[in-house]
Amino acid sequence: MEVITGSVLKNMLLHAGALLAQQKDMVNSLNVFPVPDGDTGTNMSLTLNAALKEIEKVEPDNIGQLVSALARGSLMGARGNSGVILSQYFRGFAEGLADVTTEATAEDLARALRKSSETTYRAVMKPVEGTMLTVGREAAAAAAAAAEEGATAQQVLYAAYQAAAQAVQDSPKHLPVLKEAGVVDAGGQGLLCIFEGFVHGIEGKPLEYSALDVQPTAVVEKQEGITRIEGELVNKYCTEFLILGTKLDPDYVRSSLEPKGESMLVVGDERVVKVHIHTDHPGEVLEFCGALGNLTDIKIDNMQLQNEKYTEEHQHDFGSMSAPQGERKNIGLVAVVPGKGLADIFMSLGVDVIVPGGQTMNPSTEDLLRAVESVNADAVIILPNNKNVIFSANQVRELSDKPIGVVATRSIPQGITALMYYEPEASLEHNLEAMEEHKSEVKTGEVTYAVRATVAGDLQIEERDIIGLVEGKIAVVGQSTADVTRRLVESMVDEDSSVISIYYGEDQDAAEAEALYEELCEQYADCEIEIYSGGQPLYYYIVSVE
Amino acid sequence: MARIHVVTDTGSDLPEKIRQELNIHVVPLSIQFGDEIYRDGIDLSVAEFYQRLQNDDELPSTCQPSPADFQAKYLEIAEPGDTILSIHLSSRLSGTYQSSVIAGTMVAEEGIKVINIDTKSASIGIGLIAVEAARLIRAGIALEEILEKLNYAISEMQVFFVVDTLEYLRRNGRIGNAQALLGTLLNIKPILTLQDGVVSPLEKIRGKGRAIKRLKELAGQVRAKYPDKDLSVGLTHAMVPNEAEQLALALKEELALTDDVILGMIGPTIGVHVGMGTMALLLHPKM
Repeated sequence: MEVITGSVLKNMLLHAGALLAQQKDMVNSLNVFPVPDGDTGTNMSLTLNAALKEIEKVEPDNIGQLVSALARGSLMGARGNSGVILSQYFRGFAEGLADVTTEATAEDLARALRKSSETTYRAVMKPVEGTMLTVGREAAAAAAAAAEEGATAQQVLYAAYQAAAQAVQDSPKHLPVLKEAGVVDAGGQGLLCIFEGFVHGIEGKPLEYSALDVQPTAVVEKQEGITRIEGELVNKYCTEFLILGTKLDPDYVRSSLEPKGESMLVVGDERVVKVHIHTDHPGEVLEFCGALGNLTDIKIDNMQLQNEKYTEEHQHDFGSMSAPQGERKNIGLVAVVPGKGLADIFMSLGVDVIVPGGQTMNPSTEDLLRAVESVNADAVIILPNNKNVIFSANQVRELSDKPIGVVATRSIPQGITALMYYEPEASLEHNLEAMEEHKSEVKTGEVTYAVRATVAGDLQIEERDIIGLVEGKIAVVGQSTADVTRRLVESMVDEDSSVISIYYGEDQDAAEAEALYEELCEQYADCEIEIYSGGQPLYYYIVSVE
Repeated sequence: MARIHVVTDTGSDLPEKIRQELNIHVVPLSIQFGDEIYRDGIDLSVAEFYQRLQNDDELPSTCQPSPADFQAKYLEIAEPGDTILSIHLSSRLSGTYQSSVIAGTMVAEEGIKVINIDTKSASIGIGLIAVEAARLIRAGIALEEILEKLNYAISEMQVFFVVDTLEYLRRNGRIGNAQALLGTLLNIKPILTLQDGVVSPLEKIRGKGRAIKRLKELAGQVRAKYPDKDLSVGLTHAMVPNEAEQLALALKEELALTDDVILGMIGPTIGVHVGMGTMALLLHPKM
């Protein structure tokens, strides 16, 4: 195939989504650490799916428009670090093809792949070789070389695919941790799946499997309650639609709709603008936007009724939680937290909205954006509480109209420690500085089980072994949670330690946790020891020492 | 010869020994448990008070001295022509200062001049000002200069206190509900301060040991802020004498103090509002 048309490109993307969805578990299993939260495949797949949904909304004839939807959709749907990097990859891809209308040539494709790679390198602060970045870069180099030699678009894609496959094979050479764990890089493998899907698409293979059928069930359902509000709701109609036109101005739409409601989100370009607003006058909003272009995908929900229904149905359920909305705050707080007990603790420390998730399910940028928009505050601070959520939290900064700050908390204990320095009356800058400065005053330990056999340093780990991690690194291996936790605490406590907090998970027997607590009290008489039911999944214990 | 006297109230938490040494007079506030009324330090010891505070369901209340109480004390200690420095609890926390002002006008016709001083502080913060006043009087410093030095000490006074629970401050309406509820699920020791004479949260620390360590750091920051000045330091506690003594010794050394840290117990007047386990560190540079 000499050139790529819009419908071929769309087919390539659909194939990529399908293949990635099929292989996501395989990608998940490539996690370096054998902990049960390897979700690189899931995150990349969900991110791509979000992009594909956006693509469905535009006509495939115009390549520039198609890739712009790809970039926008993946940006909003970005989940986890790998998802965020993928969204940046597509952003570069879209930039590279922005001016292409009906046919992308070999040169166009090579340029788009180069832009993709460049954008990912710019997006991460410290690029690491042997990852998705390397795979993207090698693919781009091969594509450029092929295009220079006069290859067709299809040949360029083959070249990129082969280089990507080689780069994935080589990833353990760059990263000793991969070699030690006996795996290739998960993100790189995910990108390779996408290239493989592209190849299937360009060859015109039939699409047997639609990635769009795969839904991120758990999280999306839980998001229903994100603006659970007590009492009468102001701006109760959640109104969403697209404006299709030719010379649309998202800034103009945004400023015009501003007075009509709240939690407003207007994104888009000259041809498509997506509007989301909570308003009491959905009719006026539609009327106004209808004059600018064609309205489509119109969805209006009454949040008051939804909310009442939700409250009835989920009285005891743990979904997103939000504080009753009182006066508008100076600074609001959004935290990503797994488990009911931990959510209660975070709420008691002044957090306004809890986004459920963390280790098992990384919330998407859009989930976080919605949480941020639902907080009745002038500025919002996000506590990701997981290293894999920090990146998507940072993306919210670009998308929200409010000033947003992210404190890069990598664990639940870091989140709690940061909250000790939250001053509701102080400025956003002051809070961010104080929270950032102090968040690492605490040591984090976690106890979970190994999902596969591996070697970590001197430790030989079998599948289902209980493992204890300190600051994310495997430190202790054993057969019982009590034994591993005991040794984990021992490795964390030193003469400066004075408070040990234990948060036990939903799979941990409470009586056993209490017994462990008694034991620790005796052993560490100089320390204050506290135990709480955290309710987090998969992690029997989260331990903090300060 | 006309003399200058120092009067304070029981909110100052000054140990009796120091009061006697420096001839500082004290007027008690009253504590009311139900129908029973006790005068702080006279009818009720500190230990008895905390025992009842823990065990009684009903929260006791404090009552400021009446102008007549002050008038009686002023007339008892002063002669016509004398001056009294009447040094009291923050007027935004208690009506004690107000009573002393009224009493001042009442004894004016007897030829006794009362200078009422609102320390904008509490506990040993008042005590430190009273001690400073008594020492300056003893050193024969002129009244104008004494007042200037006291005003400086009041304006530069630093207050840090750690409570075991915000419950007492909340029940007495000294802190908002929302603030009091923060962190009640975790073992959090709030460090508070007085801002313009009103209780205001400063920091939240996990664990008592770390909170005490933090007090030391905060004192170190004050030291650094006034590198060339001697500091006057007071430390009071509600039934945690060991921790307080240790901290007092450490502070004397670390802050390179000339005088000892004045160590006192938080009496009923202040104790009603902060509860057992509280530690309060107050310090000011000397002009």
